[in-house]
Amino acid sequence: MSGISELDQITRAASGDRAAQAALVNRNMPIIFRVAYRMLQDRAEAEDVTQETFLRAWKHLPNWQPKAKFSTWACTVALNLCRDRLRKKKPVLMDELPERVDTALRPEEALASAQAQDRIATKIAALPERQREALTLCALEGMTNIEAAAAMDVSVRALESLLARARRTLRAGLHAERVGDAE
Amino acid sequence: MTELNMTAERVLELIEAFGAAPGGWPEAERAAARALLEAQPDLFAAAIADARAVDDLLSEEVVPEPSLDLAQSILAQAPQVVPEQNNLIGVLGRVIFPQGARWPAGAVIASLFMGLVGGYSYASTGAGYDQADSAYYAAFGFDSGNAWLEAE
Repeated sequence: MSGISELDQITRAASGDRAAQAALVNRNMPIIFRVAYRMLQDRAEAEDVTQETFLRAWKHLPNWQPKAKFSTWACTVALNLCRDRLRKKKPVLMDELPERVDTALRPEEALASAQAQDRIATKIAALPERQREALTLCALEGMTNIEAAAAMDVSVRALESLLARARRTLRAGLHAERVGDAE
Repeated sequence: MTELNMTAERVLELIEAFGAAPGGWPEAERAAARALLEAQPDLFAAAIADARAVDDLLSEEVVPEPSLDLAQSILAQAPQVVPEQNNLIGVLGRVIFPQGARWPAGAVIASLFMGLVGGYSYASTGAGYDQADSAYYAAFGFDSGNAWLEAE
């Protein structure tokens, strides 16, 4: 952590140190955005959640207790905000899912990633909410099982069960794809 | 978990939950599970192949980058240092309140509270009495005055 502890950085950020605030944002904003994007499948909403997460962080920093890493705390906040938004959204059936078009991507990026992104994103989006959270934190963001369980407020065993079920579903989807391709 | 405690069933559970790469397995069990995996690779080959297919699928995932303005918007909401006033008021303020405005605020509230309690207890002795009686009762209460006079 380049010679400065996270707690020092948080203390400095809370007291208005712009460099510490920028470092905290640069280090943690991408993961929070990606987690929110995978949960909501909407870039604008993911950005709103990211911004709201940091707004809460700024208010919380003066009373920060180093019980968890900042990223774990922030992911918990972001996941809760995502759950709130998902609850308010009208349920969408899988065959009604809108086509994923992200106009903010550059054309060459969009071209290169479209196929792969559609394939995996559709499969991840189809997972039940908690399984998607577990998979996002552990498999896609590389959190340890302990960190991810803390972020989701579940036991380590429960997290493991969610991960196993998520992977089983993805594996079944892959198998169905292969069978479909062979026919 | 030691190598002796690690079982094939547990290794299969780890593969199923965390994928084919031992680097993604829980740290506490990783070494023991990896040792068992390397000792009996055939036993886990099918599970590893299945898990690797899912790992490959996940590795294809692409998430768009957040917009460039997002970090700026977030930083714009961050707490800011309150600039110190260098004019006469600022200097006087630091001399009079070296610890900031918190302790005088507490002292003011405490003084106000004490004044209210004192005033109320004094005023409550005044109903129907003249000023001298009120002062007497405020000093000795209603029951202690006679005892004091007798002691005199």
